Amino acid sequence: MISDEQIMAQIKSDIGDKIADITIQAPRRIHLHVKPENLNMALAYIKEKWAFTLMSTISGVDLGEQFEFIYHMANLYTNINVRIMTPRSDPKVPTTTGVIPGAILYERELQDMFGVVVEGIPDSRPLLLPDDWPQGEYPLRKDWKWERPVEVIPGGK
Amino acid sequence: MATIKPILYFLVYPGLMFLFVYSTFVEWVDRKLYARMQNRIGPLHTGRSGILQPVADILKLLGKEDIVPEKADKFMFSALPVIALTAVCTAALYLPVWHYDVARITYNSFPGDLIVLAFLLTLPTIIYFLAGWHSTNFFSTIGGVRVLTMLFGYEVPLYLAILSPAVLADSWRLAEIQKFYSQHPLLILPNLIGFAVAVVALQAKLERVPFDIPHAETELVGGTLTEYSGKKLAFFRLMADIEMVVGSGFLAAVFLGGFTGGLWIGFVKFIILTLFIVFILATIRTVCSRIRIDQMVVFSWRYLAPLAVLQLLIAIILKGSMKV
Amino acid sequence: MEFTVPIGPQHPALKEPISLRMTLEGEVIKGVDIKLGYNHRGMEKLAEDRSYIQNLYLTERICGICSFSHTTCFAQGVETLMEIEPARRGLFIRTLVCELERVHSHLLWLGVAGHEAGFDTFFMYTWRDREIVMDLLEMISGNRVHYAMNTFGGVRRDIDELQRKKIADSLDTLTKRTEYYLKIGSSEPTFVARLAGVGPLPKQMALDLCAVGPTLRASGVPSDIRRDDPYGIYAEIPFEVCTSDLCDVLGRVVVRINEVLQSYKIIDWLVKNLPDGPVKVKAPRKVKPNEAVSRYEAPRGENIHYIKSNGSDKPERLKVRAPTLANYPATVEMLKGQFIADIPLVFAAIDPCICCAERMVELRDQGSEQTRIVSFADLRRLAAQYYSVDRLQHKEVEWPL
Repeated sequence: MISDEQIMAQIKSDIGDKIADITIQAPRRIHLHVKPENLNMALAYIKEKWAFTLMSTISGVDLGEQFEFIYHMANLYTNINVRIMTPRSDPKVPTTTGVIPGAILYERELQDMFGVVVEGIPDSRPLLLPDDWPQGEYPLRKDWKWERPVEVIPGGK
Repeated sequence: MATIKPILYFLVYPGLMFLFVYSTFVEWVDRKLYARMQNRIGPLHTGRSGILQPVADILKLLGKEDIVPEKADKFMFSALPVIALTAVCTAALYLPVWHYDVARITYNSFPGDLIVLAFLLTLPTIIYFLAGWHSTNFFSTIGGVRVLTMLFGYEVPLYLAILSPAVLADSWRLAEIQKFYSQHPLLILPNLIGFAVAVVALQAKLERVPFDIPHAETELVGGTLTEYSGKKLAFFRLMADIEMVVGSGFLAAVFLGGFTGGLWIGFVKFIILTLFIVFILATIRTVCSRIRIDQMVVFSWRYLAPLAVLQLLIAIILKGSMKV
Repeated sequence: MEFTVPIGPQHPALKEPISLRMTLEGEVIKGVDIKLGYNHRGMEKLAEDRSYIQNLYLTERICGICSFSHTTCFAQGVETLMEIEPARRGLFIRTLVCELERVHSHLLWLGVAGHEAGFDTFFMYTWRDREIVMDLLEMISGNRVHYAMNTFGGVRRDIDELQRKKIADSLDTLTKRTEYYLKIGSSEPTFVARLAGVGPLPKQMALDLCAVGPTLRASGVPSDIRRDDPYGIYAEIPFEVCTSDLCDVLGRVVVRINEVLQSYKIIDWLVKNLPDGPVKVKAPRKVKPNEAVSRYEAPRGENIHYIKSNGSDKPERLKVRAPTLANYPATVEMLKGQFIADIPLVFAAIDPCICCAERMVELRDQGSEQTRIVSFADLRRLAAQYYSVDRLQHKEVEWPL
C-alpha cells in the first residue's frame, strides 16, 4: 500500500517533464494535468506501475473557450484523475482504447455529446443519440438549449 | 337404447362434456398445488376458491381479437388448433372407462388400441411444430424446431416404457391390460421403473417445466404459439389441459390397474388415479428449473432410454418365469 | 448460415428496453451489437438548471431499485464541495438504509435469475423475503422505493427503539432463509446445470474491459469500493469482500448471496452501535467553486459522480456513470460463443439497470410517445407507407431501428 504522497513524488521524478501539474485535492483523490499528446503515455505509465486498470468514466466540461476532459482511473486503494484541455475550435483527443480497451463506450459518448473527434477510435458510431438526430448538435455544450416543443393534440385544439 | 349409449359415450362421458369440465378442474388442481407449494395462494376469487378460473381464462380468450399474420397460410393457421383439439378428444375415447366388453371387439376397444392412443397423443406435438412453422415468425420457427428435437428425446423412452406392462399382460388391448392388473395387483410393482420413466416422458410431452423449452417465455417470447391469439389460442390451451387428462388416464390404465368395475366404480377410480398422477406432475413442475434442449436430449438418451430397456428386460424375464 | 436475431427493444426477457443484435450461426452466438439510448432521459443536462436540493430529488429518480445509491453518492460529493462534515448518527442511518437497499436489490436479482432460468419456485421464495425488507424500509422512511432520506449533512428522519428492535428481529428470519438459498443455489442439479459454465469472463478480460461490481468479483478480483475507497463510516465496520473464482453466472449468484449475508452482519453491527446525537447538520445554499469525485458501491457495482460547482446554487456540471454502463463491454464478450437459450441469463447476470445507464439529453420517450415533432412526422409518413393500399407489392420498410 503506497500513500498518495509517495505516488505523487514518484510521478514527478519519473515523468515530471511530460506532465503539466499534479495535486492532491483530498485523501485518495490525485489530479494529474497533462497535454493531450501525452495522455496515452501517462495512462500506460500508471497502469503498469501501480495497476490502475479500472477506468471509471470520462467526464467532460464545457469551459467556454476550452473543453476539459477528466479520465477517472482507479486501482485497489486510490484514484488518479487525469485531466486534459482541448480548444473548442478544434476539439481532438487521442483514443485510449489501446491502453484501456474498456474505454470504448465512454469515448463514443464523448463524440455524441460534445462533438469531439476521438482520433483512432475503433468504433465511431453514435452511442446514445437516435439515428435521426441532426448533425452538428452536441447536447452537452453550454450553448445547446432544449426548448419543449409545442404540444400537438391530434384532432383537438 | 343401443343408440343412446354411443351418443352418451361421445358427448357426455368420456366425451366432450366430461373432458371439458374435468380438464378445467385438473388445471385448477395443478395451479393450486403449484401455488401452495410456493407459499402463495393461487386462484382465489372466481367461483369458490378459484375453481372456475381456468374456465374464465378460456372464456376470456374466446372473446379476444384474433390476429392472423399476413404472410401465414390462413387455412393451415386456422385449422391447426381445431385438428389438435380433435386429436386429443378422439384419444380420450379409447380410454377403457365404460361401454366396452372384454369379450367382444368394439370400435373403441380392440387389440392394438394401445398404439392408436399413443399415436393420437403424438399428433399434438407434430401440430405444435406445424403451428410454429406456419407462423412465419423467427421465434416460432425456432420453437417448432425445438419441439421436434424434444420429440426425438422423449418419444422412444415413452413407447418402450408402455410396452413392458403390455408384454407382461400378454395383450395389446388396453381393456385386457387393465383387467390383468386389477386381477394381479402385485404385478404392478415390477413395472414401477417404467412408471417413473413414463411420468417423466409425459411431463416432456405436455411441455411443462423442466421441459418447457419450446415455449420458454423468457427466451423465445412465446415459442410456437407466439402468433396465436383469441379463439385459436383458447383451443390450444384447452387441448393442453385435455392432453394432461388423457395422458394421465393412459398411464393409469397401463401401469396402475385401470378403471375396471363398471360405470360408477370406474369413474371414481378414474378420478382418483388421474389426480394422483397430476399431483406427481405438479410436484416435478414446482421443484425443477428449465433445462436446455441439448441437456434434455442427452438426459433422455443417457438415462430414460436405458431405464426403459431395463424395464422391458425385467418384464420379459418375469413373463418367461411365469409361464414356466 | 448466419443470421441476425434482434433481442429487444421489446422482449419478455428484458425488463427495460435495450436492443441487442445477435449474429447467430445455428444456435451459437457469434457477435453482439448493443444499441443504447431507449431509456435516455437527459438527467445531466437537466441537472445544470436545478439547484442542489432539487438535484437530490432528480438523482433519486435515475433508478428505482438503486435509487438510494445515487442520492448518497450525490450527497457525499456535495458535502465534499461544501466542506461540511455530516452528523455521525445521520451517517449510521444512511449506511443502514444503504445496506437494506443492497439486500433488497440482490434478493430481487436472485428472483429474476431464477425466473430467467425457469425456476419459478426460487423466484417466489426470494421475492417473499424481499417483502420483509420492503416493509422495514417503509417503516424507516415511509416509502418502499425512492426513500427520500438523504439530505446534505445527514438524513431527514430518525429511527427509534421499537424500529431498531424490529430490524434486529427480521434479520434472524432473513438470515436463516438466505442460508437456505445458498444451499439451493449451489446444489440444486437442474439449476446448477443451467448456470454453470455459462457466460464466462476470465480475470484478465474483466480487468481490461473495466467491469465493476459482482461481475468483477465473480472473476476473482477482490475489488469493492467499500474497502478500496471507504466513504462514510465503512472504514470502521468489520465485513468481508466476497469473491468467487468460478467466473461464470453461477459464480455471480454465489457472490451475491454471500454479499447479502455480509450485509446482514453489517446491519446487525449498525443497529447495535448506533450513537446518539443529531441526524443532520446545516448546509449552505451557495457553494463556492470547487469540484468533487464521489464513488459508491451500489448493488450493481461502482457508481461514480463527478460534480463541479461555480459559486452559485446550481451545479456547473454533474456527470453520473452508473455501474451497468461499465459492464456492457464485458457483456458483449461474455455472450460470444453461448447458446440462444442463455442470452437472458447472461444478460441478467450483470444485473442490468438500464435506466441507470443512460442519462444524457432527452430526445424521445420510450415507447410511442414522441416529443420531437420531426420524428413524429417521420413516423406518420412511414406508417402511411406501410399500410398503403398497394400492400400487395410488399415494399420492405426500413424502420429507424
